[in-house]
Amino acid sequence: MRPESRAIVAEILQFMDRFADVGDRTSHADERLPSGTPADLELAFNELALKLFRYHFQSNPPYRKYCQARRKTPLTVREWQDIPPLPIQAFKELTLSCEPVDEAEAVFMTSGTTNADKRGKNFHPTLEVWDASMVPPFKRFVLPDRERMMIYVLSPGKDLNSNSSLSRYLSMAVEHFGTKDSRFFFKPETGLDMEELVQSLRTSELRGEPVLLMGASFSYVHLIDYCDERGIRFSLPAGSRVFDTGGLKGRSREITTSELYEAVHRVFAVNRNHCLNMYGMTELSSQMYDLTIRSCMLSGRAIHDKAGPAWVRTRVLDPDTLEPVRQGETGVLAHYDLANWNSAVAILTEDIGVQTEAGLVLQGRAEGSEARGCSLAIDQLMRANRYEKE
Amino acid sequence: MKKNDITKAPAATGDRTNQPEILPVYAVPRGVEFSSYTDRLIEGGSGRLLLRLPCLTPEIMMDIMHKVAENRKKYLAHLKTADIVDKIDAAVQKWLNPEYELRRQAETWLPAITDYDPEMIRLELKRFMRTFRKKELLRFLDEEFDQAAVLDEFRPRKSGGMSRAYGPESIFHVFSGNVPGLPVWSLVMGLLVKSGNIGKTSSAEPLMAVLFVRSLYEVDADLADTIAILPWKGGTSALEEPVIAAVDAVIAYGADSSVERIREQVPGSKRFLRYGSKVSMAMVGREALTADRFGETVHRLADDVSTYDQQGCLSPHAVVVEDGGAVSARQFAQLLAAELQRCEERRPRAAVSQEEALAIRRVRNQYELAALNGESVTVYSSKAGTEWTVIYHQEQGFAPSPLNRTIHVFGCTALEDAPSYIEPYRELLQTVGIAVGPERLQQLADLLGTAGVNRICAIGKMSRTPAGWHHDGRFNLLDLVRWTDIEWSAEQEAERYDPDAE
Repeated sequence: MRPESRAIVAEILQFMDRFADVGDRTSHADERLPSGTPADLELAFNELALKLFRYHFQSNPPYRKYCQARRKTPLTVREWQDIPPLPIQAFKELTLSCEPVDEAEAVFMTSGTTNADKRGKNFHPTLEVWDASMVPPFKRFVLPDRERMMIYVLSPGKDLNSNSSLSRYLSMAVEHFGTKDSRFFFKPETGLDMEELVQSLRTSELRGEPVLLMGASFSYVHLIDYCDERGIRFSLPAGSRVFDTGGLKGRSREITTSELYEAVHRVFAVNRNHCLNMYGMTELSSQMYDLTIRSCMLSGRAIHDKAGPAWVRTRVLDPDTLEPVRQGETGVLAHYDLANWNSAVAILTEDIGVQTEAGLVLQGRAEGSEARGCSLAIDQLMRANRYEKE
Repeated sequence: MKKNDITKAPAATGDRTNQPEILPVYAVPRGVEFSSYTDRLIEGGSGRLLLRLPCLTPEIMMDIMHKVAENRKKYLAHLKTADIVDKIDAAVQKWLNPEYELRRQAETWLPAITDYDPEMIRLELKRFMRTFRKKELLRFLDEEFDQAAVLDEFRPRKSGGMSRAYGPESIFHVFSGNVPGLPVWSLVMGLLVKSGNIGKTSSAEPLMAVLFVRSLYEVDADLADTIAILPWKGGTSALEEPVIAAVDAVIAYGADSSVERIREQVPGSKRFLRYGSKVSMAMVGREALTADRFGETVHRLADDVSTYDQQGCLSPHAVVVEDGGAVSARQFAQLLAAELQRCEERRPRAAVSQEEALAIRRVRNQYELAALNGESVTVYSSKAGTEWTVIYHQEQGFAPSPLNRTIHVFGCTALEDAPSYIEPYRELLQTVGIAVGPERLQQLADLLGTAGVNRICAIGKMSRTPAGWHHDGRFNLLDLVRWTDIEWSAEQEAERYDPDAE
């Protein structure tokens, strides 16, 4: 890596270290901030975000051209909010890296369900920052009450898919927070090994050792179907929890989030307040979490809104103008992630959400638009083609 | 149900002056009673309005269907086609008077309901109603029947024998809400073939069909009594099933998904006409790009793009611009962008949903990123929001648009190459707006017709169809009627039994 990149990485790691315990706004009232004040954080965030913007602008020509077309340059961008959010499609169309891509330690790719030959790529010259960004928020939102836990993973780990950020995430979780009995149940040839998982859950139930189930949201749908078909029911030990990520749209059997959590309760006897959803993207280097578990531990009152670490900010924008909406209105989400040091600080998603007092509520991905009558909008045409292929 | 819906008992109109005006968005034969209503509040530049929707039940629907059928049998079935034309014309003449009360209501409230620009609605509505004057209706009938009298009685055929055409006893129309007034077209077709009509309006535009029936009522109450216009949420099978069971024919308009949903409910034995999703495009030849002409060409195309924000299937998704004129295709794109900006200032686009705005953003991003990747594409777009977008492609081609004033401009060396790139859209292509010289029109039209296009018109006229056009390439009235033939042999046979025959 170039010395400039080294310096940037060092500075981000320093920021993370300083603000590791600051993040969600729920805790300010009843918790003393361990280091720094919100004003310090704001200043530090702004400073580092602008530094990263300059760095990307200088080191990444396609990114520079994108910004110049919007008349956004280090001269005109004065606040982190001025940084133009890069649409996530750019990760498919452009090579976004400040370091030579063939020297990257990892390349995380989007699943590419819609267009297999055009997958979004996020290059990580080093995984130091990505890893450092994963650990403290995980502790904060998933395991605020304990150091380690037995983790059963339903989706593939990094040994099976080195290009998946989720796989790395799951492996990191087990390494940093799993007890020695933690296991991965996804087999390369056969997929999720239901039999073994059911047996292991039975053992955990008998031994009274709580378990953290982790996996993609839709993998739970398969697991629940499997258990329902065979009349299998668990009463997982107190403290057990269910972690899902990725959402439930666009799968063969679509269910809603609340249906999923109801089924989780029915099959595993894990209640809603011990379930949480993680929101992560290949195009980012940090994750956001439901506040459910943390808020219950702190105040006894469950807040399901999402929050992330101090190095991530989210803005809710009007899709028409890309100006921020008023507080409480829905819009399209733009994330500003300081950990995304090699590609882009600010990305524009196609996710719809709303900012609340406590954090962020996701309302799903924009499903594409339909014309109001007989004219055919492009999204409908693309959808029609997609169905034909399936 | 929308948040501002209020269910209430009948009457309670109230006479306090600050109360919003109440407008019923249903029209039913005399004698039909509703026991309760839902009001939908509309707020617009011209004040507040309550749209009054009746609460419907399967029993009420059955009663309405029964009355429509009875009234049609007693009255409309015996009217001569020429009389029906006169009555429709009398109603349309009212609409051509700017002071006409119902026209004023439409001009006041349609912009609030649809969010389309008031001036655009005023202009388009006026143009639209003109296509139903007597002479247009007669042309429309003549276009499809050698002699319209076949709708009234058995008429001799050139090949011997006699024939008479019967329309369906009743038709169920499922209207779309994209272009105000379109339901009028469908109702007029139904009346001309002497059918009882029941129409389901879209919540996007529930008003115009009702106002038209009210003007028919002013002309001839008995005729209006053969029509029922009702709003309900599409897919309410408890209401739709009894209607479909009672009618002979169903005509569905709108997006393929909603048309398909209706089709699934219609038994194969009943006539089903669909006007589903289509796309259109424009072609500009070098003849229309001379120094004295290109300005007007751009202006007319901008008109096609901005009329009803491309929500009708007649509006262009893309324009192919030929090399060799006074302006290049790229300059044409820039001029079109400037013209669309002027349109926006004059007649702003309707508000779009978040999904629609995101769809435009997605397409803009796609091509801006492609441009950064070195592809020969340029995106010209409105500064503030998604009001208009022009995407210039150096290479010839066709691409669908996310609509709402988004258009692709493709360069090309010869328009005659079109079949090569429109082929994939064969099933979907409807209108091509064209600006070329006379010597090329025939040949190009043949190329386009072969490629599946069914309407070729002038640029600037794309969203206005004349009476008697082949809607989606088909007949309008002929597709509705069935025929009864009296063969020559029966005629001859009958003669034999004439006691007075020599």
